[in-house]
Amino acid sequence: MRTIFSRFFGYAILVFFGLVFLYPFVIQISSSFKTESDAAANPLSPIPHPFTTDAIERIFVGTGFPTWLMNSVLVTVIVVLARVLFCSMAGYALSRLRFRGRRVLFAGLLATMAVPPVVLLIPKFLVLNQLGIYDSYPGLIVPLLVDATGCFIMKQFFDSVPVSVEEAARIDGAGVFRTYWSVVLPMARPALITLTILSFSGTWNEFPHSLIAVQNPALFTLPRGLADLVSGSLGAGTQYPLKLGAALLATIPVAIIFVIFQRYFVRGAAEGGERG
Amino acid sequence: MSAKGIRGNERTAGWIFVAPALIILGLFFVLPILMALWVSLTGWNGQGSPFTSRVPFVGLHNYTALFATDDLARQDFMTSIRNNAYYVLLVVPLQTVLALGLALVLNNRILKGKSFFRTAFFFPSVTSSVAISVVFLFMFANGGAINALLSAVGINGPQWFSDPRGLIHIALDRVGVHNAPAALADHGVLGLTWWDWLSGPSVAMCAIITLVVWTTSGTFMVMFLAALQNLPIQLDEAGMVDGANAWQRFWRITLPQLRPTMFLVVTLGLIGTWQVFDQIYVMSQGNPAKTTLTPAFLSYRTAFRDFDYGSGAAISFVLFLIIVLFTLLQRWLLRERRGH
Amino acid sequence: MISRRWAVAAVAAGALLATGACGSGFDENKSTQQSSGPASLQIMIASSGDAETTAVKDAAAMWAKSSGNTANVIPAQDIVQQLGQGLAGSNPPDVFYVDAARFADYASVGALEPYAQTMAGADAFVPGLKQSFTYKDQLYCVPKDSSTLALEINTDLWSKAGLTDADIPTTWDQLTSVAQKIKAKGITPMAIGDTRDRIGAFLVQAGGWWTSPDGTKATADTPQNEQALAYVQSLLKNGLAKYPKALDAGWAGEAFGKGKVAMTMEGNWIRGAMSTDFPNIKYTVKELPAGPKGKGTLSFTQCWGIAAKSKFKTQAQQFVQAMTTADQQLSFAKAFGVMPSRQDAQATYEQQNPDDAPFVEGAKYGQGPVNAPKMDSVLADLDAGLQGLQTGDPKAILQRFDKNAKTALGG
Repeated sequence: MRTIFSRFFGYAILVFFGLVFLYPFVIQISSSFKTESDAAANPLSPIPHPFTTDAIERIFVGTGFPTWLMNSVLVTVIVVLARVLFCSMAGYALSRLRFRGRRVLFAGLLATMAVPPVVLLIPKFLVLNQLGIYDSYPGLIVPLLVDATGCFIMKQFFDSVPVSVEEAARIDGAGVFRTYWSVVLPMARPALITLTILSFSGTWNEFPHSLIAVQNPALFTLPRGLADLVSGSLGAGTQYPLKLGAALLATIPVAIIFVIFQRYFVRGAAEGGERG
Repeated sequence: MSAKGIRGNERTAGWIFVAPALIILGLFFVLPILMALWVSLTGWNGQGSPFTSRVPFVGLHNYTALFATDDLARQDFMTSIRNNAYYVLLVVPLQTVLALGLALVLNNRILKGKSFFRTAFFFPSVTSSVAISVVFLFMFANGGAINALLSAVGINGPQWFSDPRGLIHIALDRVGVHNAPAALADHGVLGLTWWDWLSGPSVAMCAIITLVVWTTSGTFMVMFLAALQNLPIQLDEAGMVDGANAWQRFWRITLPQLRPTMFLVVTLGLIGTWQVFDQIYVMSQGNPAKTTLTPAFLSYRTAFRDFDYGSGAAISFVLFLIIVLFTLLQRWLLRERRGH
Repeated sequence: MISRRWAVAAVAAGALLATGACGSGFDENKSTQQSSGPASLQIMIASSGDAETTAVKDAAAMWAKSSGNTANVIPAQDIVQQLGQGLAGSNPPDVFYVDAARFADYASVGALEPYAQTMAGADAFVPGLKQSFTYKDQLYCVPKDSSTLALEINTDLWSKAGLTDADIPTTWDQLTSVAQKIKAKGITPMAIGDTRDRIGAFLVQAGGWWTSPDGTKATADTPQNEQALAYVQSLLKNGLAKYPKALDAGWAGEAFGKGKVAMTMEGNWIRGAMSTDFPNIKYTVKELPAGPKGKGTLSFTQCWGIAAKSKFKTQAQQFVQAMTTADQQLSFAKAFGVMPSRQDAQATYEQQNPDDAPFVEGAKYGQGPVNAPKMDSVLADLDAGLQGLQTGDPKAILQRFDKNAKTALGG
């Protein structure tokens, strides 16, 4: 009797919070296919009445969405590849290679991780400005190429795997680079996938950096474009189906990756946790 | 090849391996901080380079102005500190409790279909803050989903993003205190009257608080869940044998073992909440009546809208200091308790 | 050995990259290198809507085609911030809109090229508007257009509330009484923008203003201003007027266009928005009701600014010249409803648009914006106060403005 009661109670809680966490997305999806007056009149209804793809069409012809999408894809692909390569290299060196200054570098890495990103808004702008890459693709991409947390995750990973395999390769006479490329990297696959996933979602969703790195609408990424669409100036109007639709389209890639690779997201959250 | 040769090789290889990371982090983390430190000591107005002799050097003026000069800059800064403090005070406990609660339910062995719910609870935290802000802006519109729900249960919902009244002021109004008592309105500290300090978060800020608790709980839930799954089951069973009920077992056995995770979640929560920016930028830009202004947004606005880069940089360094202080304070508080 | 050489090369390259790139930024160019020949101009505009964006883009494309240059029009979402970053990055757009309220800020830091001082035909512009763009006796840029606030009335809702033309309010008392009649019919009477750029009109009608006429002293805390704010507060408190956000609208014109309110007070730009976004709403435009000290409205203007750092100043001037011919101004006026800033074009405009007579009338007694550098954060603070006017204390808002403005104006 008690078990049945607590089971019922447990499910009640789960279903309630399931609704709380998922229903906003239901509203978002349905409102993207509503007319503006329908969206305003029936904000809770999950069924568009009448059903229309007007808003979605206007996203593609009436806004900079295609440009933002292209930029987001470009930035994300480059950044993810670079982070995987550079962070695995740095993590490997900090974990396995013995060289002078290693400890200092690692301490520096930890210190970098402790700097809150928001504090860096103005500073980063100053540097981009001084380097002459403000408002350009390099300015948008280069500062994101390495992520301190990613390097830390890789270092932790290499610390946790036994050295025996590499030692064998080394004794066979392979140099550091050969060993890294053909022995270490394949072995690090799970960590590399975690890093890829984290880099992907981090870069795809990155907003403050694009806010201070570019001002030309041709260089906007999705979050930046979306933010401008929402905080639109005089005369832009509310246009909720349009905005919700654009937000929806920006969320879809992350959602797909999330559903497929959920356990790596979980691992990422847990590993991010370990640094404490 | 001799062993010494391998080690010698490692020395240069080590530096090469870290070089890309070192250059990028150096150029875009270390160098910026140094530059910003310099700018925070100047009155650079955003024209040309800040590193010429024509830029006036003002020493610590940008910092002292935030605390000592009785003017608008201090008032804005203190308002932003007040807003963010209320925000932290609500978000951190709420998200921690919600995350722990959800993790406990999901850790229950008698329930099925848990992986679906885990996915559902976790999903919001991986989506873009900007995209989610758009959704919540719609839900919290005056004729939006939240007010439709509230009116279904007979409550006339507020005008979320245009209501600058603080919660405490509203509560006092309900019990008959319509105007500020003179003792509070006529005196104050650091540019705000006591009455202003004690406003509570505004209605608009509450909407943002709801959004943030909703998005971040999932990540922390995953952390709690991982910790719960690593707990040895024997202790709990021993408790059961001793006749402790579920509540006692949670309070005396589970919770103490979760202390390291709890410490982590609260620390990450504190660090994150003092940095709130994206949601403010998208949803309110500090409005209405500056009640959602936060130090991070104020620093941005001061630099990029008012062309006062020195003051903006100074605000961000003070914010940095606040975050460091809170982390240390919290570390210290938990140390104390461990001693008992 | 090979790898060591690589390492040295990599580090050296990194160091070079850093110092070399920094070095270029440290030099302060005294005057920007000018390029002749075909220019590629960046033009940043703060558009009032699609109508304006399209019109300016078309006009720019025509100029580019006929002059052999290229012109890229960038509609800014937040021109103050985007321009600020561009100026700090030494990479501003060549031509950009400068609002009269922000003009002094840009002029005082040397961001603007004072081309209008020597521009041929600068005499043709309305003197009052030129005054808005004069800093230290120098005319920096020519006004793009002008607009004033007037009262817009939704004629359908008006008759639904049982009102006729005879009820159109010409005084505050009449405004209150028609608003009460409209409210009794369950219609929201009026939408008022929650900023100084709308509420300020009531101050003028009451015979007050935020600052002294020469803009050097803060004069907000006066009985006239208090009377004005108290009146607006009474409208808000009694539900006779609402701020746009309370109506789920981005601005008052949107609430009006969606038929949520019977009246609003907006400027000429509402014409463009109504015809493109809300073509089915029937409305009429009247002068704002007079206050205790007579008629009063606010006038707004922007100028075509040219960046002091532009590489193509000559071509930029030619562009501005082309955008401000009488014909071009009239076609802009037609496209998005603003009034010409040239005297010759204004006369033609009056004949062509008799419906806009209230706007044109308003230009004769309109009050321009507060025009002094370093006032932006003070004015933003004032707006924050006005957002809370419904429950706030008018006198406290005015006193707070005086205190803040005093520091900013240095008096």
